[in-house]
Amino acid sequence: MMIRFTCNGKPMEVDAPPETRVLDLLREELGLTGTKEGCGRGECGACTILLDGKPVNSCLLLAGKIAGREVVTIEGVAGEDDSLHPIQEAFLDKGAVQCGFCTPGMVLSTKALLDENSSPEIEEIEEALSGNLCRCTGYGKIVEGVVEAADRLRQGQTRDGE
Amino acid sequence: MRYLKPNTVGEAADLLESSQGMILAGGTDACVYMAEGICDPETLIDIGGIGSLRGIETSDRYEEGQAIRIGACTTIAEVAASEALPTCLRQGAQAVGSPQIRNLGTIGGNICNASPCGDTLAPLLTLDARFTLRSAGGTRTVESADFFTGPKQTVRKGNEILESIELPASVRSKASAFRMIGNRKGQAISQVNAAVSLTVADGAMSDVRVAVGSVAPIPLRLQALEGFLTGKRIEDITLEEIRELVLEGIRPIDDVRSTATYRQEVTISLVFDAMRECGEQVTGEGAGS
Repeated sequence: MMIRFTCNGKPMEVDAPPETRVLDLLREELGLTGTKEGCGRGECGACTILLDGKPVNSCLLLAGKIAGREVVTIEGVAGEDDSLHPIQEAFLDKGAVQCGFCTPGMVLSTKALLDENSSPEIEEIEEALSGNLCRCTGYGKIVEGVVEAADRLRQGQTRDGE
Repeated sequence: MRYLKPNTVGEAADLLESSQGMILAGGTDACVYMAEGICDPETLIDIGGIGSLRGIETSDRYEEGQAIRIGACTTIAEVAASEALPTCLRQGAQAVGSPQIRNLGTIGGNICNASPCGDTLAPLLTLDARFTLRSAGGTRTVESADFFTGPKQTVRKGNEILESIELPASVRSKASAFRMIGNRKGQAISQVNAAVSLTVADGAMSDVRVAVGSVAPIPLRLQALEGFLTGKRIEDITLEEIRELVLEGIRPIDDVRSTATYRQEVTISLVFDAMRECGEQVTGEGAGS
């Protein structure tokens, strides 16, 4: 079945069985290997992508469901010139990345949160990241990274607005 | 595998009748079952994109006092966020899985999966919800209290699709609250959950409903406790006096998530807390008006 959807802002057409997991479609068919498979059961969030702007587990999403919809993966977060997104820079600066396996999912859950709420409380950050497991950091530095990213994005918006 | 994506619920019912396929709503349970080889359907009927199955409508015009209709493929996240819905149902929805799962999973899926620990089920029982089932031959309505028959088992037949959930007009005037306990706050399966809904008139409770999950093969109403609470004041009730009425209603087991003894003690507390929160809602509204 030909599946047409928007992938990282670009129209995409892939011929694949509709029962393929979107995780496999992205990694195997499109070579977008930034999306990781952890548990494959919706428990860990390593495979998080944004579907119409909302975080979802791509291991629990079948390709037939994304026709006509908008998918963003970690590859779609950085700028056109490969410059890092402020969330990614903030994660690096705060040491929010150790082994890095959970990081794409963490960044996308953070993006979904900050797109909706530019000044989240710590509890709101913890809730937004509750579906993303990290076995290295203990989460403290990730939460600091999100706070820092929110600050930078707000400052950027202020500058843009001037 | 055949993957069918009907545009209307009527078309879906016809396909289900002719194919004996499996219904796919949000897919958050179905994909795990397929990944683990628990099921390997020849035909998947994806109803997630059918417009009439999505969304929450409120109206006074539904028959038989029905006031709120929730399409079965409304996502758990949409249920949790809807100000049109009673508190306990929103709190139950918010307790399901993670943000990622709530964005995909549907309330109809939570109902039809019929896990004894499903976090929307006890709230739906306390709200006297009704479920409308659609087959190629027509529709029928089942009371939520009669829907669940065992772990992962319901009265829904193989040729039926859960189309909508209806809540009665009475929910508009009721206070309600949900409580659950799990190993962590996010992404945890309930070891026990509980929901209470009630009305307070002249300080006394009426129209009381108490339901609990994960403490029996199906989500259960505690009718003896409901009867005991009726006519009494919330602030007069003690943990000790509801203890036996809770324990005689539930049949918890030891399993990977918890022990029967722990579940017994926690159920009593969760029911008590949920009832007290109902009281706070009533007083809060009184103070605000």
